[in-house]
Amino acid sequence: MNVFTEKIREVLFSVLPVTLIVFIFNLTVTPLGFPLLLRFLLAALLVIIGLAIFLIGVDLAVTPLGTLTGENITKKNKLWILLLAGVILGFFISIAEPGLLVLANQVALVTAGHVSSTGLVIVVSVGLGLLMAFGFVRIVYNVPLNKTLTVLYILAFVLALPTRPEFLAIAFDASGATTGVMAVPFIIALGVGVSALKKDSTASEKDSFGLVAITSVGAILGVQLMSVFAGSKELGDSLHVALSTETSLILPFLEALPGALRETVFVLLPLIVIFLTLQQIMFKLNKKAFRRILKGFIYTLVGLAVFFTGVNAVFMDAGSMVGYKIAGTGNNFLIVVTGFFLGFTTILAEPAVHVLTHQIEDVTSGYVKGKAVLGALALGVGIAVAMSMLRILIPGFQLWHFLLPGYIIAIGMSYFVPQLFVGIAFDAGGVATGPITATFILAFTQGVAEAVEGASVLIDGFGMIAAVALMPIITLQLLGLIFQIKTKKGGLEPDEE
Amino acid sequence: MKSNAACSLPELIVVIVNFGMGSKIIRHAKRHGITGATVLLGKGIVKKPLLEFLELHETRKEIVLMGTAADKVEPVMASLMEKFQFEKPHHGIAFSIPINKILGTKLIACDQAQEEREVEDVVYQAIFVIVDKGNAELVIDAAQKAGARGGTIINARGSGIHETAKLFAMEIEPEKEIVLIIAEKQLTDAITAAVRQDLEIDKPGKGIIFVQDISKAYGLR
Repeated sequence: MNVFTEKIREVLFSVLPVTLIVFIFNLTVTPLGFPLLLRFLLAALLVIIGLAIFLIGVDLAVTPLGTLTGENITKKNKLWILLLAGVILGFFISIAEPGLLVLANQVALVTAGHVSSTGLVIVVSVGLGLLMAFGFVRIVYNVPLNKTLTVLYILAFVLALPTRPEFLAIAFDASGATTGVMAVPFIIALGVGVSALKKDSTASEKDSFGLVAITSVGAILGVQLMSVFAGSKELGDSLHVALSTETSLILPFLEALPGALRETVFVLLPLIVIFLTLQQIMFKLNKKAFRRILKGFIYTLVGLAVFFTGVNAVFMDAGSMVGYKIAGTGNNFLIVVTGFFLGFTTILAEPAVHVLTHQIEDVTSGYVKGKAVLGALALGVGIAVAMSMLRILIPGFQLWHFLLPGYIIAIGMSYFVPQLFVGIAFDAGGVATGPITATFILAFTQGVAEAVEGASVLIDGFGMIAAVALMPIITLQLLGLIFQIKTKKGGLEPDEE
Repeated sequence: MKSNAACSLPELIVVIVNFGMGSKIIRHAKRHGITGATVLLGKGIVKKPLLEFLELHETRKEIVLMGTAADKVEPVMASLMEKFQFEKPHHGIAFSIPINKILGTKLIACDQAQEEREVEDVVYQAIFVIVDKGNAELVIDAAQKAGARGGTIINARGSGIHETAKLFAMEIEPEKEIVLIIAEKQLTDAITAAVRQDLEIDKPGKGIIFVQDISKAYGLR
């Protein structure tokens, strides 16, 4: 079995559940119509192939590049190099993230141009860069992750006080938006690269994760500062969900292709520039290793373009259609349950999720199984989407009503859960909010909001990503607790023989 | 330690399989008297030009180490062969190497010095090469030129006393890669010579090579 068939098999099992669920919905409560259904199946096929190729590319190019970068800048043993590298790396990765651009445009829209989208992108990227540098420093000076996160989140919630509730949702969404499909594998690998050098292997293992979590707080702080200084007008409700009437089978894919390609080139460019620059001044890799990474980038490019084509062409349409129709039934219980199952299954198809589980298996030598992490993650996202449905259905239920207690629980848990899991859990928060969530689940949420009376597509649409970023932190830390309890037992019991 | 366990020479069983299979191997082996096992993660590399051009020639592997008594090797291996079919391509390989002492397990209490090990005809040898991270591929290239068919890379770290250092507030150790190559005995000298020359092993800090006889190998073609 070579790598390709192995990846296809892995990806197949992660994309099939969501395909099946949509198929079942189609047969029961929400008939999508034949053209859309057929297109959905075709898109699922593209997603499977694209994801498999992309993951090969990540293994060949993105992960090695991140690890090499992390190692090399640390080995220089100069604080200013580490800080400068953190700021530059964080800034360029964030600024190329398509999710951030989409978010910035929405923000510009709701503030009637008060906050310019370029301004927001720059502020968030600077915030991300600064915190990336901070994250490096934390690892090399052995500052515990839970204390670091406590301070950062307290800061975020203090800044939340003067922030309007709608902006709060945007801020927490931004944290998910910036840690996208390219950024997450790279940032995880950076963290692993820096901490892999540590002599103490337990410290090395637990400090491998957490960098994504720290950098994504940068986005939250950035948006909040922006809103405090810019002030904001009353939010409009100018967003409407366009339900698809497209009947052609192939056309939407052809239309989506150029955009997907552009998006892909855009996110890859900073990484390629970083690679070529560092190869000149630091890595000096031999020819074989150099070519290997370049080929990896080609895989990444092709895979991601195919993946995005499938996702952009159909997943949004299908998502909003399912949402709209299911809300049209007026059965609130059904809406919440549907939300749970969609959340539970879509997360398995998220590209970055596979990168995280692989890294976890590698770092822990297979002690923490990828499947266990996937399960906990899916459960968390399922709960998060179900909660978002509740928020749409119950008018008085505001975002911070579960965001605040949620983060208090998450931070509180980080003091008695194994530190390795704290890092994994908080990173998973950023990992969970990738392109599938941002299209399929977001469209589904907006579809529901469109159909439910009294719900605003815009206000209720925001905040879903924030919820998806929060819940996995709690479920994965619970997994950590279970691991801790189980391992203790195993150590005390004598062998069976 | 003075249990009724039969006194027998210790052997180390090594099984290399695709990622995710390690736990299954252990579960199966335990039913045949293996008391414990250790799993390492590695990368398997095969020699296939097309796959190599596409950079698809690496697969994630798990390496299972199981120490046991020599007389148990045969039944355990036979049963593993039957269950996991190592003779088929890509199903993994297994081999056992003689070791001198094993402590910490109840099974074996024998002292090597008292008994002469039966000398079987050695067909295969395991070549271990430990080099700095990033050089494993070069080792495999060199070995392949000399006739080896593939190899397994294991990530590792740490080494000689003069290599530890302190960066910022953390103690660091350099990362290493261990390359495990199984080869027919008559090829061993050529392979080690090629690796030694290509990687300048004789210069200090470049790496080390050691070779170990294999008592019995399965799944090699």
